[in-house]
Amino acid sequence: MRHLLLIIRFTEEALISLLLSAMILIAGAQILLRNLFDSGLHWGDPLLRLLVLWLTMLGALLATRNNQHIRIDLLSRYLTPDWRRLSEVIGLAFSTLVCALLAWHATRFVYYEWQDGGMLFGTVPVWLGQIILPVGFVLITLRFAILTVQTVRGRLP
Amino acid sequence: MSWLFTVILLALALMGAPLFVIIAASALFGFYMAELDLSVVIIEFYRLAEMPILLAIPLFTFAGYLLSESQAPNRLVRLTQALLGWMHGGLAIVALITCALFTAFTGASGVTIVALGALLYPALVRAGYQQKFSLGLITTSGSLGLLFAPSLPLILYGIIVQQLGTEASLTIDELFLAGLLPGLLMLVVLSAWAMWRQRGLSKQPFCLQEAKSALWQAKWELPLPFIVLGGIYSGHFAVSEAAAVTVIYVFVVEVLIQREIVWRRLPGLIREAMIMVGAILIILGVSLASTNYMIDAQIPTRLFEFIQGHVDSKLTFLILLNIFLLILGAMLDIFSALVIMVPLLLPIAIGYGIDPVHLGIIFLANMQLGYFTPPVGMNLFIASFRFNRPITELYQSTLPFFFLLLGTVLIITYWPWLSMWLPGRMG
Repeated sequence: MRHLLLIIRFTEEALISLLLSAMILIAGAQILLRNLFDSGLHWGDPLLRLLVLWLTMLGALLATRNNQHIRIDLLSRYLTPDWRRLSEVIGLAFSTLVCALLAWHATRFVYYEWQDGGMLFGTVPVWLGQIILPVGFVLITLRFAILTVQTVRGRLP
Repeated sequence: MSWLFTVILLALALMGAPLFVIIAASALFGFYMAELDLSVVIIEFYRLAEMPILLAIPLFTFAGYLLSESQAPNRLVRLTQALLGWMHGGLAIVALITCALFTAFTGASGVTIVALGALLYPALVRAGYQQKFSLGLITTSGSLGLLFAPSLPLILYGIIVQQLGTEASLTIDELFLAGLLPGLLMLVVLSAWAMWRQRGLSKQPFCLQEAKSALWQAKWELPLPFIVLGGIYSGHFAVSEAAAVTVIYVFVVEVLIQREIVWRRLPGLIREAMIMVGAILIILGVSLASTNYMIDAQIPTRLFEFIQGHVDSKLTFLILLNIFLLILGAMLDIFSALVIMVPLLLPIAIGYGIDPVHLGIIFLANMQLGYFTPPVGMNLFIASFRFNRPITELYQSTLPFFFLLLGTVLIITYWPWLSMWLPGRMG
C-alpha cells in the first residue's frame, strides 16, 4: 500500500511538470505559427483546453494531499485543539463522501463517452481526454479517506 | 428539507470543509431534488476543458511563481527606490508601487506580504518610518494591485460573467482597462498619505548614477508590463496568448539568462503553482454546476425580486452592496467569493442598471479592502504571523489605511466614470 502510494505520488508530480511544459510549448508554438506562417496545429487548441482540465485535477490532487484546499478558516482559530480535531474529522469525512459521489458519476460519464466512441482529434478518442476526471476524483477520494483516518488517529496537527 | 441541508452545509463550511466540496454538495443535492441524473454535475465540470481563456490561469500563475522566486522583486525595489527615493515618503511610495505591480502578477494570495514585506518592512523601519506606520503600510499593500492587469481575480471575474451568458457582454480586455484608473486612484491616495505623514523625514538625494545602474539591472524585467499590456491592448495577443508569451519570456530571462532559478528548483515551483491553480479551478468547475442549478431554479431572479421589493433606489442598493462585499471579503478568499457570489449578484446589479464591468471593479475593490478588514481579514493574520506582531497591533496600524481605501472604494462605487471611461474609449 505504502509502495503504491509512493508510485502514485511520483507519477502525479512527474505528470504535472510534463503537462505544464507541454502546455507552454504548444501555446508558444501556436503563437509562432500563427504570426509567422499564418497557420497552426489543428489539434493544438483542443489539446491546450484539455490540458487545463488535467492540470486542474492534478493540482487539486496535490492540494488534497497537502490539505491545502481553499476553505473558510474562521472558526478553527477559536476552537480548542480537541474540538478543532473533531470539526476537521467531520469536514474530511464529508469531503470523502462527496468526492466518492463525484468519482462515481465521473466514471459513468466517461463510460457513456467510451460507448459512444467519439473522436477528439485524429485517432484520439474523447474518453481518453476525459479519463482524468474519474481517475482524479477516485484519487482525491482516497486522499480524503487517508486524511480522515490520520486525523482520527491524531497524527495531524 | 433544502433549508436544513443549506444550514448543514454552512456549518460544514465554517468548520473548515474545503469550499469545492461544499459547492459540489450543494450542486449534487440541488440536481438530486430536481430529479435529474447527477452526472450533469460532471458534464458541467467538464466545461473547464471548453473555455480557451482558462489557459491564462496556469500560465500567469506559473509566471508569477517564477518571478517571485527570482531576484526580480529586489531589482524592482532598488529601481523604484532610485527613481522615487528623493521624495518625501519616497520609500513608502516605493513599497506601494512595487507591491501593487507584484500583486498584479502573482494574485493577492498573501505572497506579496511574505515575499516583498520581508524586504520592505525592515527597510522602512531602518529609514526612520514609525514601526506602526510601516506595518500598516505593508499589510495594506498586500492586496493592492488587484485591479491591475493581469491579476487573476480580474480574469476570473471576466470568465465567470462570460460563462453566465447573460445579455450583458464584456471582454477581459475591457476589464483590464477598467481597473487602471481605480487602481491608480488607490495608489495616489495612499502615496499622498505617506508623503504627508512622513514630511519630517530626511530625504535621500537623487543620484543619477544609481538610477542608471538600477535601470540597467532591471533591463530584462522592464519590458514585461509592456509586452503583456501592450500586446493585449494593441490587439496583437488574446489574453491567453499574452499569458503564454509572459511565461516563456519570464522563463528565458530568469532561468536561462539571469540563471537565478536553478533547474532543480523547477519541479517544486511547478508543483506549488499548480496546487494553487488546481485549488482555484476545481472550485470554478463545481461552481459551473451549482450555478447552472441556481439559474435553473431561478434563484437569482427570485433574489432580485425580493431585493427589489425592499430596496427601491440604485444608491441604496450600492450602499448595501458595499457593506455586504466588505463582510464577504473579510470572510471568504477572493476566488471563492467571486465564484459563489458573482452569478447571484450580476443579474441583480444589471437589474439596478449597473454595468457588469463596473460591478467587477466594485467587487474587487471591496474584496481588496476585505483582506485587511478587522477582525478577520486574511492579510492581518498573515502579517501578524510573518512579522511576529500581535494581531491587535495590526488592527490599529492598518486602521488609517483602511479608512483611506474605504474612501476610494466609495468613490469607485458611486462614480462609474472612473471605471467606464477607458474601456468606453476603446470600444
